[in-house]
Amino acid sequence: MKTLDIPQESNFKERVVAMAVPKFKQNASKLFGLLTVALFLAASMASQAHAADVVTTYKDENGWKLQVNGQDFYAKGVVWSYSPRGQNYSYNLWAESDDHIRKVLDYDMGLLKAANVNSIRSFAMIPPKWVTYIYREHGIMFVVNPLMGRYGYMIGGQWVPFTDYSDPLTRATLKADMLEIVNRYKDTPGVLMFAFGNESNYGLSWSSFEIENLPEGEQNTAKARYLYSLFNEVIKDGKQIAPHVPFTIVNGDIQYIDLIAELMPDLDILGSNVYRGSSFTSLWKDVDEKLDLPVIFFEFGSDAFNARDYREDQVSQAKLLKAQWQEMYNKAYGNGEEGNSIGGYVFEWRDEWWKYLQEENLDTQDNNASWSNQAYLFDWAEGQNNMNEEWFGIAALGKQNADGVWTARPRMAYDVLGEIWGMDPYLNKKAAFNQGINNINMEFLELKGEVRQLKSENEEEKGKLSFTGGRVQGELVLRGSDESVRVDGENGIDFSDGQMLFLDFEFQPVQELEGQFSLNILGNVADKRPLEFTYGDRGLPITGFTVGELDGNQFIRETELSTGERVEIYDFEATYQGENFDITGFYHTPRFHWGYEGDFFGLVAEATDIYGMDIWNAKAPEGIEIQGKNKWKNLRLLMGPEVYWGANPKFIVKYDFDFGKFDVTFIHSEDVARSGEGASATQATERQSRQTTLFAEREFGDGWKIELGGIMAATEKVDDIYTRVDGSGNIILDQVDHEDTMGFKAKLTMPLFGTETYVQAHHAGLVADGGQVHKVFGINDPSRLPYSGLGNKREYEAGMIMNFGNLMVFPRLMYRDNLIDANPFIEASIGPGGVLNPGITPRDRDSDPFAVLGNREARSAEVVFKWDPTGASEFYRWDNDWREDAKFAFDFGANYTEYPTFTDANLFFLEPLGVNASFGQGLPAEDVWTLSSRMVFNPKQGRKYITRVVRGFDQSTGNPEGGTRDYWQFHWKALFGGKHTFEGYFMKDAWGPYDFYRQFNVTYPEQVKLDYSILLGGNTGSFVSAVGENEATRIGIRALYRSGDDDSDLNPLIDGDYVFMTVLYLTYQF
Amino acid sequence: MKNQSRHINRPTAKQFTLVALVLSLFAIGGCEGPSDGEGQQINAIVLPTDTLLNLACADAGIGFELCILGDPENPFAQVATPEFNVNNPDAATKFELANNIPAGPTGAKARFYLWATALARFPSGENQWYTARALHELYDANSDTLIQEQALRAYRSVLDNFWGSVTFFTCCGGVSFSVNLNEQTADDLYRTDSTGFVRLIPGDPLNAQALMAQWGYTYRPATPPDYNDGLVTINGG
Repeated sequence: MKTLDIPQESNFKERVVAMAVPKFKQNASKLFGLLTVALFLAASMASQAHAADVVTTYKDENGWKLQVNGQDFYAKGVVWSYSPRGQNYSYNLWAESDDHIRKVLDYDMGLLKAANVNSIRSFAMIPPKWVTYIYREHGIMFVVNPLMGRYGYMIGGQWVPFTDYSDPLTRATLKADMLEIVNRYKDTPGVLMFAFGNESNYGLSWSSFEIENLPEGEQNTAKARYLYSLFNEVIKDGKQIAPHVPFTIVNGDIQYIDLIAELMPDLDILGSNVYRGSSFTSLWKDVDEKLDLPVIFFEFGSDAFNARDYREDQVSQAKLLKAQWQEMYNKAYGNGEEGNSIGGYVFEWRDEWWKYLQEENLDTQDNNASWSNQAYLFDWAEGQNNMNEEWFGIAALGKQNADGVWTARPRMAYDVLGEIWGMDPYLNKKAAFNQGINNINMEFLELKGEVRQLKSENEEEKGKLSFTGGRVQGELVLRGSDESVRVDGENGIDFSDGQMLFLDFEFQPVQELEGQFSLNILGNVADKRPLEFTYGDRGLPITGFTVGELDGNQFIRETELSTGERVEIYDFEATYQGENFDITGFYHTPRFHWGYEGDFFGLVAEATDIYGMDIWNAKAPEGIEIQGKNKWKNLRLLMGPEVYWGANPKFIVKYDFDFGKFDVTFIHSEDVARSGEGASATQATERQSRQTTLFAEREFGDGWKIELGGIMAATEKVDDIYTRVDGSGNIILDQVDHEDTMGFKAKLTMPLFGTETYVQAHHAGLVADGGQVHKVFGINDPSRLPYSGLGNKREYEAGMIMNFGNLMVFPRLMYRDNLIDANPFIEASIGPGGVLNPGITPRDRDSDPFAVLGNREARSAEVVFKWDPTGASEFYRWDNDWREDAKFAFDFGANYTEYPTFTDANLFFLEPLGVNASFGQGLPAEDVWTLSSRMVFNPKQGRKYITRVVRGFDQSTGNPEGGTRDYWQFHWKALFGGKHTFEGYFMKDAWGPYDFYRQFNVTYPEQVKLDYSILLGGNTGSFVSAVGENEATRIGIRALYRSGDDDSDLNPLIDGDYVFMTVLYLTYQF
Repeated sequence: MKNQSRHINRPTAKQFTLVALVLSLFAIGGCEGPSDGEGQQINAIVLPTDTLLNLACADAGIGFELCILGDPENPFAQVATPEFNVNNPDAATKFELANNIPAGPTGAKARFYLWATALARFPSGENQWYTARALHELYDANSDTLIQEQALRAYRSVLDNFWGSVTFFTCCGGVSFSVNLNEQTADDLYRTDSTGFVRLIPGDPLNAQALMAQWGYTYRPATPPDYNDGLVTINGG
């Protein structure tokens, strides 16, 4: 845009945004200018097919104004979002059905319009058609606000979490993408302006050696220069595309205002997020003097929670907002002050319950204050946090209405602002609007807000116990085999039916304590085994063997001994938020590992697969976590009977501290008993043990990072005896010593040749066992490298993430040796004269202090190719099935692993006796390989296809009998019409779908699953999240088929050549 | 800030230092495997031939006690004592070892260690009864009252802990037959000819019946010629 400077002597200055017209002559007359503007507006409007609005800024001696189609427009609005309970930032309203979107918008915009809102800002990119809908139906305009890499960006095919605005490729990518957005929205009716970033000046987190070498105070300034120069490039070019609307940025306060003045000559408006309390203090004057631009606030306001009194505080919020808007009105055009205020957007419209922790407690509103701001005196105290992220709404998040829309319960601020926004600062004289604002009946509005709050609380019945919903599931099952049908005809097909009810409750007996729990109630339980194991199988009859007698002869008969509990607590979580500690009790609710918090050896395993645990009716994770706050914030304590799935009863203490330039973490884990039963049906229990780790990490900048860790584990095993075979074939009796408890691990990450490259070494003594290994991409990392947390190894790993546009190529290598090899089987014998040759047998982890199992000697190489044009929807995120939004994304991986030696013996849990049992022999040496690929197609909205193919040659994880398997798997899932799902699999010579099949090396020639379901309504109009899919109201039918052969005969239920099952199912959500 | 043209990933001294540090840590990492000469070679263990038994703990060879596995005098502590495997019936079992221990008093102590080890690893009536028999044999050889007492406790454990257990004998051309171990235990206590050893309960065989009565069992002695019709019942059972 070129600024149209009218001669100073005329005392008239106007900026018409981005007019692609020749320069006006410096001495053009006022009349000529006005006529030209009018002509341009007319021409501009006529030329735009969709009649986009012309938005301009205007300035004269009285200050600045924003004008829409020539009419004064003081921006009065909120930062708008729609986040249902139970959802977080990943929720995408625009993926819902049009009908549902319309209901949401009509509800929200209706309330906003009633409060005299004329425009909104949103972090979400509202699709153009809905921008127009909101504008035409409700008269509310929209600020298009792409975040421009603020929270990471896809650069050259790689997701970069901290955007480096100095990087040429990053700048080119961001610029091209921003201009594409401008192009997409430029003709959309309802667009008020384009704003870029969001407090991007606070996110200058990238590092490079060049900038690191500068004095600390200059480092961020150097980075900021890159940021603002890029902003200006985007704006300058953007105006060529959309000359009829203003361009601005969303700055954090007015930091770097001098740089903005220097580097952003094309900026039309200063957009800013300001949290200075009840007054904006000197901001107006500073901007006036240094930028001479109008000011619009994209965020400001106050939370509605009093962290000191620990209660909702509508009054303080309303008073603060009232003072802020009164000041803004006074600073508007024509009031004899700076005159540069043109409006603002209160943060925010409605509370969002995901803001604190972001992935957890999504069904409850956290009261945790997560940062401190002294400007908010009503609840500020020295050394205490007072800003409650989940309470910033001028409306609280209510319950769902009959349309499935999450309602808003307006707070006092809504009413106060409604009255203020009803006054036009341009039409009313200064004295008039000040009188109007001062005369607002705050007592009445306080009462009104409190009545709403009380009514809402009565509805929610918080303070006691409230019922929040639930679901009913029902199923009809037909199951049989070819043999049963051949022998018994139709009577050979079993019929069973099942019903299940979930009831969800919340409670908050006192403000500091809140929580939720669900009950599960069984009716009949359909028997789907062995084809499916499902939650609720606990209600199936438990059978045993008893001795019967007939005609004087005894015989063994199978007898129904009992049935499981029909009612049980499904999950439970409660949090007490104290002054210095938060205490959370959890039972069967998902919990994450601590790998990103200094747990270098994986002592705390991830426990998020609740559905997987449900199959075995496991109740993990179960325990208590105490998280320190304030001066105790570095301390964390976790304890309980099973803090992650398969854990022994234990406590874990973690303490973080700085040592020089290193971030250091100390963790001690101590088992206090041994678990009485295995996780899943057959996973062996582990001996009671202990581990202590120390981890230090330092990031050097420009992608260099070093991580160093040491572990001391299983000290209780010192002096334990074990046997081995030496190089000469002698049998040696040896003992564990202190050195065998120690391990060391180091990882160096570096940008070798412009890639993310890492090398890692892990030396671990015989019993220096860690826990779960954290892969580069987390639990969904497709890597088949033979990771193991066990000790007794020298392990080296290297990988290199290379990006070529949207294609990622990621080769990885692993080399591992054992300090002591697995034991062979040599039979014991007694020779003449009573000389015992003791022989030797494979070790196991119960009878021996250690065993060579998953940590066996290995040489492994693999490469993964990934194509994903939309990096924000990470391909390996656990919920990528729902989040992936690329038209086409895929990966392909190939792994080849050589196991040159055999292993010791694996254990399994023998449930009837409640003890571990050994397979007796180890897995043989073998070379194995796997090819796999996952593809996601999004041909159009409401339609998605996902496939996964695996071809492999691999070993069992326990029983060596049956040998190595050569198998195929093909899985698919198709979503169409927003409500239809067709999914299934075909597997050839593969293990069954549950872990124990591989543990016992049970495979089937063919396995087929076909499942079709249709969504019947409920919360959402389509499957937009994992929760939405698993708990939606739906009806469907599923068919399974499995053939058997000699490798399948371990399963006694397979009688004949094949088994089959059909399930008709219904889930009703309420 | 430096010229942008230098924004190239050229290793600096700091980076070289980092790499060198990590590589050196890898090199000196420790956690070496045992070298030759470490540990004790146990290719050939001479089984004890004496009859002096030092019990590793008070309950050694009784019930579910595991201390025998840590007994430094136990030659079988690290030796597999495989049970019969129905899936692999031809595999060697503990009986192969037992059969090769020298017969007579010189093998009694080794027999005790073998069966007590098997018992600790797999608590069964069979392993308990053989342990009791070995103790009985040792008492026969050394007349040690402590061993006498331990043998009685081992026999009693067959009744208390493994009631209903059986073992299999083979005779007469490979024919297997099962023996009810509670009856065999009572017979061993009641009848000298059953074991060939001195009585654990001196005097009249009625004393054995009386002791078993104290333990809570009633024994109706087996009768000649086959002595296979004895009956043990649980008092009040």
